[in-house]
Amino acid sequence: MGGLIYRNFYTNISSFRLSVIVSAICCASFVFYSFTIRSDAENQSYLLYIIAFLLYYFCFMLSGLTSTMVFQTDENKTASAFAISLPHGGKGHIQSKYWYLLIILLTTLFITFISDTISFLILGGKFSALLVLLLLFSGRLLMFAIEIPFMVRFGAMKGIKIKGIIVSVILLLVITYLMFGDISWLLYSDDPAKALINWLKNGDIIFALSLLPPFSIFAYWLSCKISVKLFREGAENYEQ
Amino acid sequence: MSNEKRLTIKRLAIFLVISFLPFVILIPLLWNVYGEPLYAGENEQLAAIAYVVGVFGMMIPAAAVLITRLATKEEFEKSYLGAYFKGKSGYWAASVIVPVLESITGLLMIWAFFISGTSLHDAYPNINPQTIGEFILQLSSSVIIFFPAFGEEWGWRGYMMPKLLKLMPKTAAIVVGGIIWGLWHAPLTVAGHNFGTDYPGYPFTGIGIMCLECVLMNCFLTLVTEKTRSIYPAAFFHMIHNNLNPTILILVFASADTIQRINEMSLPEKLLTTSGGTIVTAVISFILFLRMDKPQKSA
Repeated sequence: MGGLIYRNFYTNISSFRLSVIVSAICCASFVFYSFTIRSDAENQSYLLYIIAFLLYYFCFMLSGLTSTMVFQTDENKTASAFAISLPHGGKGHIQSKYWYLLIILLTTLFITFISDTISFLILGGKFSALLVLLLLFSGRLLMFAIEIPFMVRFGAMKGIKIKGIIVSVILLLVITYLMFGDISWLLYSDDPAKALINWLKNGDIIFALSLLPPFSIFAYWLSCKISVKLFREGAENYEQ
Repeated sequence: MSNEKRLTIKRLAIFLVISFLPFVILIPLLWNVYGEPLYAGENEQLAAIAYVVGVFGMMIPAAAVLITRLATKEEFEKSYLGAYFKGKSGYWAASVIVPVLESITGLLMIWAFFISGTSLHDAYPNINPQTIGEFILQLSSSVIIFFPAFGEEWGWRGYMMPKLLKLMPKTAAIVVGGIIWGLWHAPLTVAGHNFGTDYPGYPFTGIGIMCLECVLMNCFLTLVTEKTRSIYPAAFFHMIHNNLNPTILILVFASADTIQRINEMSLPEKLLTTSGGTIVTAVISFILFLRMDKPQKSA
């Protein structure tokens, strides 16, 4: 298995490098921003949450893009036939890709965690985005869990389209809620960012959010099992 | 003494010096600069520094492993960095479930033995969706953001313990390994970590208790590491143990009155109740570890 994971790194080294470099730049930007507002951190904590979320989201989004590449590189009959002929078979081939993506995400998480720890020190312990990191990581893991079986079965390009449909549906639900749901807490607030964070700290919301990390880990594991089953069917449709 | 044994001792010595040195230098230095102990001071800035020293300090043993392996040209082939699940999933699950059970046992023992005349609900009234959500988030965070504990575990269980097991019998290795691990915490203990600075016999009692605690924890951690040939279950256990120990859970779930009564408990009472689960886990793990086949001489 180690060899297959190494192969994924070898064939996708440029996207891995890009992901690490961009994460490092985003994190350095956040550390620099923390440094500039360190004397007024208490009053700006809501703004800090928003900026941390945006920068860290960008890190995880970019590392997520590599998923397309890792599947696209092996999307032909020769590569899939070679993978099936290996001692680990198609199962090992797919599992190695899941491990690769998990390692990529953990690398991003590590970089952002270090950045958060340094910012915590700079801001005198007044701000930590650890919860944001946890939720971003879990969210990205869940997205992988949903999109990969489609990529394996229908190919990377069709997989992206299906992911696009899923994201659109989620956005539509959010917009529908914003249009018809009870958002008085947001509408009558002087500071929407502050209102949003207070809403997230509400007991029921915290409980629902807390289920996301364990659920995403389970979904990722289940997705791997499904993808292994779908791999042979998908490989038959690959072009030569 | 064979060449191999001599080389193992040399590598172990280099690893320990690199692991111990940063805290031995940094902690007194910070105490000198801020004029108060790192973990028992009033200064707000110091509290932030204490957290960061904790996070990066836990990564020192991992850095020591890297430096030692590179300096002594030791291969990375058997470095416990792989993840093997086949037939070992029980140990992986135990590394998450056991520390949670230990913490809950601690809360129940405090209630049963020291908060007499109060119902469980009155002692811990803050059990609601919000606190349960916070508990699950903290648990998830400990498993997912496991990097600091990985730093320690890769050093202690992934490098030191296999070397000690090569040099001495299992029982001695567990005890010696635990004591070394406890002594590594000594600068932090002197600076008020875990026990503060206001207790009888400061700081030697604290250092002694820390060593004892580390010997107990070493039983389970070494067992899961050797069984799974992987460092991650130990890292999960360690991180959950640090983030969700009974002392922290009390602050989340207990009433103000319960917290007041717990604060009035003596140090031995607190230790016995909060460490009750750890002792049971240690005994079971130790027996299982002794029954286990002798570990491969991999280090």
